[in-house]
Amino acid sequence: MDSDSVKKAVIRQILTESDMANARQLIDKIDQNCFEKCVPKPGSSLSSGEKTCVTQCMDKYMAAWNAVNATYMKKLQEAVGHST
Amino acid sequence: MDSADLDKLNDKDKAELRQFITNEQQRTRLQAQTHTLTDTCWKKCVTGPIKSGSLDKTEQVCMASCVERFMDLNLLTTQLLTNKMRK
Repeated sequence: MDSDSVKKAVIRQILTESDMANARQLIDKIDQNCFEKCVPKPGSSLSSGEKTCVTQCMDKYMAAWNAVNATYMKKLQEAVGHST
Repeated sequence: MDSADLDKLNDKDKAELRQFITNEQQRTRLQAQTHTLTDTCWKKCVTGPIKSGSLDKTEQVCMASCVERFMDLNLLTTQLLTNKMRK
């Protein structure tokens, strides 16, 4: 391998790992928050109602994540704009 | 690729990689903060039962305000603490 292909391989590996870590954090938060919302009294298995709730809750949590990210980035950019 | 391959990096590529890693660390920090903020604001704003896979208007407004006020508070805390340390 030459220098350029080593560099590209390292970059690819870092991006993969960072995507994985991000996905793990998201799954972890969805598990906590949607378990709280959708399974108030855990039974012997997940009911179909609970599964429907979890499906919607996951979509909703991801929508919330995107909304937070958009607001957060906008605010940060404004803050940077003020300080320069 | 194994770690021995890293010795093949020339100075220019090493510098580029360092810059890339610094940027990625920054991006990861911001992403982690988004995870924390989403968790905090979800608990504040999504108070009813889940009825759909999207945020309703009230929840949307609440999430945006929640993020903005949290950041205001962060700034205020920093200022207050700075003032205290100056005294």
